[in-house]
Amino acid sequence: MTLLVFIASLLGAMAIGVPVAFALMFCGVTLMWYMGMFNSQIIAQNMIAGADTFTLLAIPFFVLAGELMNSGGLSRRIIDFAIACVGHIRGGLGIVAIMAAVIMASISGSAAADTAALAAILIPMMAKAGYNVPRSAGLIASGGIIAPVIPPSMAFIVFGVAANVSITQLFMAGIVPGILMGLALVVAWQITVRKDNVKPLAKTSGGERLRATGRAAWALGMPIIILGGIKAGVVTPTEAAVIAAAYAMFVGMVIYRELKPRDLPHVILQAAKTTAIIMFLVCAALVSSWLITAANIPGEITRYIEPLIDRPMLLMFVIMLLVLLVGTALDLTPTILILTPVLMPIIKQAGIDPVYFGVMFIMNCCIGLITPPVGVVLNVVSGVGRVPLGKVVTGITPFLLAQVAILMLLVIFPQIVTVPAQWLR
Amino acid sequence: EFKERTIRVSNGINADHPVGNGIKAMQQCLDEKSGGKMKLQAFWGGALGGDLQATQALRSGVQEAVVTSSSPLVGIEPALGVFDLPFLFANAQEAYKVLDGKFGDMMTEKLAAVGLVNLGYWENGFRNLSNSVRPVNKWEDFEGMKVRVMQNNIFLDTFQNLGANATPMAFGEVFSALETKTIDAQENPYVTIDTSKFFEVQKYVTETNHAYTPFLFLFSKAIFDTYAPEEQAALRECATVGRDVERGVIADLNKKSLEKIKAAGLEVNKLSEDEQKRIREKSMVVYEKHKATIGAEVVDSVLAELAAIRK
Amino acid sequence: MTKAINLFYKLLEILLILLLSGMAIMVFLNVILRYGFNSGLTVSDEMARYFFVWLTFIGAVVGFREYGHMGVESFVALFGRRGRIVCMLLSNLVILGVSLLFFWGTWKQLPINSSMKAPVTGLSMGWVYGIGFFTGGGCALIAFERLLRIVTGRVTENEIAAFAGEGQNIEKMVERA
Ligand code: NA
Ligand code: NA
Repeated sequence: MTLLVFIASLLGAMAIGVPVAFALMFCGVTLMWYMGMFNSQIIAQNMIAGADTFTLLAIPFFVLAGELMNSGGLSRRIIDFAIACVGHIRGGLGIVAIMAAVIMASISGSAAADTAALAAILIPMMAKAGYNVPRSAGLIASGGIIAPVIPPSMAFIVFGVAANVSITQLFMAGIVPGILMGLALVVAWQITVRKDNVKPLAKTSGGERLRATGRAAWALGMPIIILGGIKAGVVTPTEAAVIAAAYAMFVGMVIYRELKPRDLPHVILQAAKTTAIIMFLVCAALVSSWLITAANIPGEITRYIEPLIDRPMLLMFVIMLLVLLVGTALDLTPTILILTPVLMPIIKQAGIDPVYFGVMFIMNCCIGLITPPVGVVLNVVSGVGRVPLGKVVTGITPFLLAQVAILMLLVIFPQIVTVPAQWLR
Repeated sequence: EFKERTIRVSNGINADHPVGNGIKAMQQCLDEKSGGKMKLQAFWGGALGGDLQATQALRSGVQEAVVTSSSPLVGIEPALGVFDLPFLFANAQEAYKVLDGKFGDMMTEKLAAVGLVNLGYWENGFRNLSNSVRPVNKWEDFEGMKVRVMQNNIFLDTFQNLGANATPMAFGEVFSALETKTIDAQENPYVTIDTSKFFEVQKYVTETNHAYTPFLFLFSKAIFDTYAPEEQAALRECATVGRDVERGVIADLNKKSLEKIKAAGLEVNKLSEDEQKRIREKSMVVYEKHKATIGAEVVDSVLAELAAIRK
Repeated sequence: MTKAINLFYKLLEILLILLLSGMAIMVFLNVILRYGFNSGLTVSDEMARYFFVWLTFIGAVVGFREYGHMGVESFVALFGRRGRIVCMLLSNLVILGVSLLFFWGTWKQLPINSSMKAPVTGLSMGWVYGIGFFTGGGCALIAFERLLRIVTGRVTENEIAAFAGEGQNIEKMVERA
């Protein structure tokens, strides 16, 4: 019954257009009224205590690093590098898009920003070369959503804090699944592109390839700093994030000279606003999360799915379907924040590795970014690439299926996530 | 006189910690006294928020109870910092005498003044050091060691004063940080070193007993005051029952955890009595530095009581 | 009046820039100190956290004013103009309610937070938790002003479109994912 109150108040508020953060607060208020413990202090205290966490400080710094990267001209150089490497092979520009998406994912945590950067440069090129445009747009959107799976990732930070799971371990565990998502796209792309009549790019000379690598080297150094730093144990994720921001500023201003001091205030303000939007949501979710816990809603759900607790794989399958369903309507961060407090106790009880679950959950939420009706990344690629939304949805279907297939593969073979995570830990 | 009550008890630790046994024993006692009307509903692993946040919820009358170590609460009641002072108690018996006696009552009164009813001193226990660099036999061995400590000025000063590089870090990151050698050492009770599997990534364990942290069983004063005297008495008496069970289980578990740590191949040593004394003297600067914040009368009174016990 | 309000938000934006820059500098400085000089400033770790709290809750008000908070607009977008206005009315009522509760809760919590000190700097936590006054009050004011305009029929078409999630630029979308 409490479960029903929780779902009805949250969905009801969101349906009439209340932003998710305020809807979560409203859901919290409804729950405490229902439980007969109405007290405004529950709101005030949980909201602000939520932001007062050192680990979450990584979020603004990674956001800032990403903003600085894009304004500093790093994306452009990564794409040039990918063209020099794989542009000449069959389906070349599609492979370029995937390769660039994976590299950019290891620098930025934002699916929307990566998609925007890729779409702006690559969609016109792909159209000119004769590729099917909606399908190209679909590919780029599906590549963009790898960003939160490969570290750095705001999604892992939010999940790690909400679920009390080590962010370092989540970061390391995300690498292989992220690359697998890229490979799945390569396969799906090569199958669908067969019928297109496309003129492949000319093979770049060795010298040109070397020059492109040289120009991109500074950008390619970024993942080494972030992952290497965390992996070697030199820095914590928060420290890695601030170093990444400093490095991005240095490269953009001093090396590439595309970032001017007068651009800085705007870039910083944009990062501050993005941070505030994410964080306010995190804080509001802590209000409802506190009441979900106090009302023992996970216990109520566990009673319904009792028979699944002993069958972890089946349980994972059911949960993944649920997340896919929620993901059709909700963005990444809200899905994480709403479902984590509800699902985590069940995951623990079923004995599922929390790091493995975290990776699967985030992958699934990312897929939600490209499922209609609500998919921010769909909107981004449609807006930037000037392709009607309906056509993007058609074009994306094979890639969406490929990503879901990878997800299901990892449900059946969790070792693909857990074994490399063990090595990289 | 007994009403149906659900008492939400927040815990930062997990259900398999001895506090779990204590809560069970307390519930049994409450069942007998209240005819099953008073129910403890425990939340584990910080599910209802961190210790500090939960304690604030008690003060505002939003939540009934919390089992928390004293350290995070020094911002609310500075006198609690006395339990963070290094090498204060030499053994558990000393700690029990002081906490369950006059000094403990004095601290309970201070807590009442900030809206918290202390139902008793449960146990977190003595903290010991583990590291991956060398055995620690004397304070000089701390030199240059990167030790993770809690974000707490007294702990930071204690380790810095011994020459270590004290690094505050979230508990969830400690394992990875030890494994990757971001830090060399951490300090926690044996039970934590065992249950958090720190022994997998450490080579040496030293029984430093450098700090004894009590767990306070705190109740919201705003809520407690609305209870009938019989209910209040039942809570007080049963909290004591739970306390004794919890302390007993911890003592057993400490032994078992230590065996497990040894079996994992770690080199375990104990600070000699002379070295304990040397370190305590070396650490007196920390006492002096924090005396004003904690309250001179609090520090003096605990030292006087300890002197009387040790005589 | 509009000029004064715009100036006020301009100041808030400058404040946001200062807060984020301040945080970055403090944490970066600490990394340098810790790895370069084997020491660290616990003060800067703590202050960076409080800057973060202020940044979040000041930015939340700015974001609300700009229709920046994430929502599910697809249901609202199904309605015509009238239906959208009704949803806008109800939605702002909900926001007004929870914002006022946030403000009220902050007020009731104030004595408890003021009597607590930050572990390192000794700053009264009233300064940190008191930001609830600004955010609760700020969002309540904005929602109230919107309600007034909805009821008196002075709400603009642009606002209705923004409420239904239309016409978002890329920067706004990047904020969401
Ligand atoms: Na990423
Ligand atoms: Na979706």
